[in-house]
Amino acid sequence: MDTNLIWLIAMALEAAILFRGLRTELQKRYLFFYCYIGCLFLIEVLRFLCLSVTPNSYGAFYWQTELVRIVASYAVIFEIFKRALRHNPGVARIAQELLRVVFVLALAYAASDLLHGGFTSFPRATADLGRYLLYVEGALLLVMLWLFGRYRISFGRNLLGLTVGYSLVVGLDVMNLALLALPGHGYSIGLRKLLPITYLIALIIWCASLWSVQPEPAHPEVSAIDRDYDLLVAKTMAVFAHLSERGGRTFRP
Amino acid sequence: MIGLMPILLLGILILVLCGRLLLQWSKSRHDQPVTIEDFSRARAALDSMCLEAIATKRIFAIDDMEFIASKGTLELEHFFVKERQSLALRWLRLTQKQVGQLMDIHLKLASYTFEPSPRFEFRLAVNYVCFVVVSNALLTLVWLRGPFNAVRIVGYTLGVADYFCSVFSLRLEQTDPVKLGSARTPRIA
Repeated sequence: MDTNLIWLIAMALEAAILFRGLRTELQKRYLFFYCYIGCLFLIEVLRFLCLSVTPNSYGAFYWQTELVRIVASYAVIFEIFKRALRHNPGVARIAQELLRVVFVLALAYAASDLLHGGFTSFPRATADLGRYLLYVEGALLLVMLWLFGRYRISFGRNLLGLTVGYSLVVGLDVMNLALLALPGHGYSIGLRKLLPITYLIALIIWCASLWSVQPEPAHPEVSAIDRDYDLLVAKTMAVFAHLSERGGRTFRP
Repeated sequence: MIGLMPILLLGILILVLCGRLLLQWSKSRHDQPVTIEDFSRARAALDSMCLEAIATKRIFAIDDMEFIASKGTLELEHFFVKERQSLALRWLRLTQKQVGQLMDIHLKLASYTFEPSPRFEFRLAVNYVCFVVVSNALLTLVWLRGPFNAVRIVGYTLGVADYFCSVFSLRLEQTDPVKLGSARTPRIA
């Protein structure tokens, strides 16, 4: 497909998402996500203008705006975290701790790698910084997705679409930037051809899932479920010890 | 290239977990969060599993096999082993399914808990993974070598199944069914 056509379709889809967000008032519920889409739209327009007016400076401009895009996408992680776990305070607490640890570890790894690589030029340093920020973001998203799966966190259609589209974009971006960092980066050619299409797919997922307000899954009253978790844990440990002993005795030859 | 493997793996894992999230959503989108019906179903499964634990001893009892071997013909012995093998395989699959269902309810309940203990949750997860691995190994062993050669591993599987039985039993005792939503409650928050 023609690159300009993909570009124009992407801009049209972003505009449609923003328009529907305003019409359905979903932008109030997912404020950070709509700010991110607004930022993407602005970046796409500026890149398009830059390529048309000053094509020579497009390379440097692309990496600068890519860095802005990656920083802005952190807002979506925050949005997903906030909306998905608002009825699960316990999981939110575990997730917060886990995410903090992962963030520090990933940041330390990225910083050491960045410093080790040295600064050859400003555009290169910008590109590297963007890449490492994306790795950190990927690590945070991975932990969140794992926790959502493990604790069977229920999603409404709106939030699910938002999360799936975002995971698709981040997952493929992480792989692409990793391959791009290879000398000669021949491996990423196939993936690079695929990326604009997958980005369009992500935009279509967002557009479809956020087209109208969907009901969110009902949650039982938080305080009613169980408050005696510590007691439960202590009892379980005692029972476990007792049962292991009993099980061993029963089936000893 | 080797240094980039963790990053590539990260990207792949994000996509895999995203797929799992979709699958989980499509399976559970018509489910209530936690209902009286869930509670009763889990209780019934739990009770039947505890009863089966006693009956299981008979499926794997070597004295039955010794009795048949001493009294019956070789053909009868083969028939007996085959019958016990199919019983054992059915029991194992049912046990795996029931423990899986109970684990599911535990995780749903844990997600609403004020302060879940990460340490306990981790131990439970490790035990569950061990149970899945050992029960699958047992399934293969029973399928390949018959039920009577697998008695030792049965001991472990039963022990862990019993453990899950008690964990969920305790958890369900802690949960007041009156305070849980009914299946007839509308899904919309």
